[in-house]
Amino acid sequence: MPHDQHAEPDFSDDPFEARLSSALHDAGASFDTDRAALTAAGAAHGRRLRRRQQASVFGAVTVTAVAAVVGGTLVLPGGEGGAAGQPAAPGTSVNPTPKPSDSGVTEQQMITTLQKLLPHGTVSEQTGRGSGEKPGYSATASLVFDDGKGPAAVDVAIDHVPPGTDEAQQTVQCPDKVYIPYDSCTTDRLADGSVVMLLQGYEYPDRRTDTKRWTAELITPTGQHVSVNEWNAAQEKDAPVSRATPPLDRAALTRLAAAPEWRTLVDAIPQRRSHGLAYTQEPGAPVRSTLASLLPKGLAVVGRSSDETGFGYLVVDDGKGASLVQVNVQTGMNDVRDQLFDSGSEELPDGTLVAVHKEPGEKGGKGVVMWTVDSMTPDGRRVVVSAFNSGSQEAAATRKTPALTIAQLRKIALSPQWWQ
Amino acid sequence: MRQVRADEYAEFAAAQAGHLYRSACLLTAGDTHLAEDLVQETLGRLYVRWSRVDRADNPAAYARTTLTRTFLAHKRLRRSSERSTDELPETAAATSDTPLRLTLLQALGQLPVKDRAVVVLRYWEDRSVQETAAVLDTSPAAVRTRCVRALARLRALLGEDIGEYARP
Repeated sequence: MPHDQHAEPDFSDDPFEARLSSALHDAGASFDTDRAALTAAGAAHGRRLRRRQQASVFGAVTVTAVAAVVGGTLVLPGGEGGAAGQPAAPGTSVNPTPKPSDSGVTEQQMITTLQKLLPHGTVSEQTGRGSGEKPGYSATASLVFDDGKGPAAVDVAIDHVPPGTDEAQQTVQCPDKVYIPYDSCTTDRLADGSVVMLLQGYEYPDRRTDTKRWTAELITPTGQHVSVNEWNAAQEKDAPVSRATPPLDRAALTRLAAAPEWRTLVDAIPQRRSHGLAYTQEPGAPVRSTLASLLPKGLAVVGRSSDETGFGYLVVDDGKGASLVQVNVQTGMNDVRDQLFDSGSEELPDGTLVAVHKEPGEKGGKGVVMWTVDSMTPDGRRVVVSAFNSGSQEAAATRKTPALTIAQLRKIALSPQWWQ
Repeated sequence: MRQVRADEYAEFAAAQAGHLYRSACLLTAGDTHLAEDLVQETLGRLYVRWSRVDRADNPAAYARTTLTRTFLAHKRLRRSSERSTDELPETAAATSDTPLRLTLLQALGQLPVKDRAVVVLRYWEDRSVQETAAVLDTSPAAVRTRCVRALARLRALLGEDIGEYARP
């Protein structure tokens, strides 16, 4: 029942997902190109990369940073057959995780733990999946639980989520109701510092059936993640509603998710190695509200993004037309420093690099120009502020230049407030 | 590269180029020039690492993983981002004369890049949540979060009956 229980795609029971897959296959198949030319160009590029690597042995040229990052650490996607549940075989990994408990968590441990933690009732149809020895995989258990008021599917998945990351934050952040309708959603901090989101929603966002899905997502301060789902039906999908609500109320659901037994098991799952790309590192202040606080006076805000870390925008108007201002805040960007800045970039006394660009917009709006101030501190924290002479990159220009000057953009980009 | 390996590489690249290009077109929401650049970069990286790629369980999956990561690394360098907006534009599918491909690509273009990568991996590459998480080096829970959010946006943009356009 967990979404990720099977290796094969697990979306066939939602008609929209099946349609989307079908539409993507049709759209994808319609693209074609000169494959021979593309293949030849790829090999030529490979030879160039190799020459650069060989040159770098003598310190002459550095390998392009992006290639180097993707290089040594590519994790091969694995199927689930074969090795799952067996101890890690030494020597098969380039960089084996050194923890002693790397044999992972077994299916049986998961099922036994879930049964033990449920209140009084009967259980049936137990299934699960061990974590295996591959890092980053979750372990799951699912079963049908009946407290006497009707059978209900319950599942648990556990894994490790790096604490303090965008990923950890998103996991326990209530979704926007625009996207997912629900009856209630709360995020609370428990006494031990764990954060738990309780979401009382529906199996289908369009509520085509009355199947309710109640979820607890819990993350401990050290990144142990426990996800519990329960339904008011014996199966997640394609089973009749068997009771008014799922069996565990908010308190019982929280207790189940917060049980220390899960944390012990999470610790036995091998952890992912970080590959250095800052996919999940989007710390810093919420972007949209910070940007709003840094705007010069005299600008009306006429459009805005949601307020998240990493990226945000405002559409402002000084009375002469809409102007999109957007900001990216990133960390860990030192590996691409040479691709973003060159000898023409300004260097501040503290080592921060600043580059200014005036260029056409990237998304094809007619006459759109983009003014950018790109900045990066010596420790790889990057703030990029771009302003457009249009309210949208896709729409035609509404004015001659953006509503902010380069000097104003520079002041915004260099504000210490992004890191508070 | 020794000749035998070079031949193996050439054969592999020729067999994969088409699929990689189509994947890249979906990842870039129809930017075919960028798609060609990404595939070229991907094939170049595979060339350099061929002795290792060749021994992988599934070199084709390895190539697709490299493509996705190349795409995300490229997007990381950009000065301006996708509009991961909370304002949903007009439902594009409302005009029935819009070809599905354009409508779909426009909708994909509205997704934040990581959400789009999840959609392409899950519904075009047919990868499981676990596999998608491994490609993106994130957790299955994060993949599910992105997937639910992306599906809700696509539903709003394309309408529930996207299939009517897919299968005229």
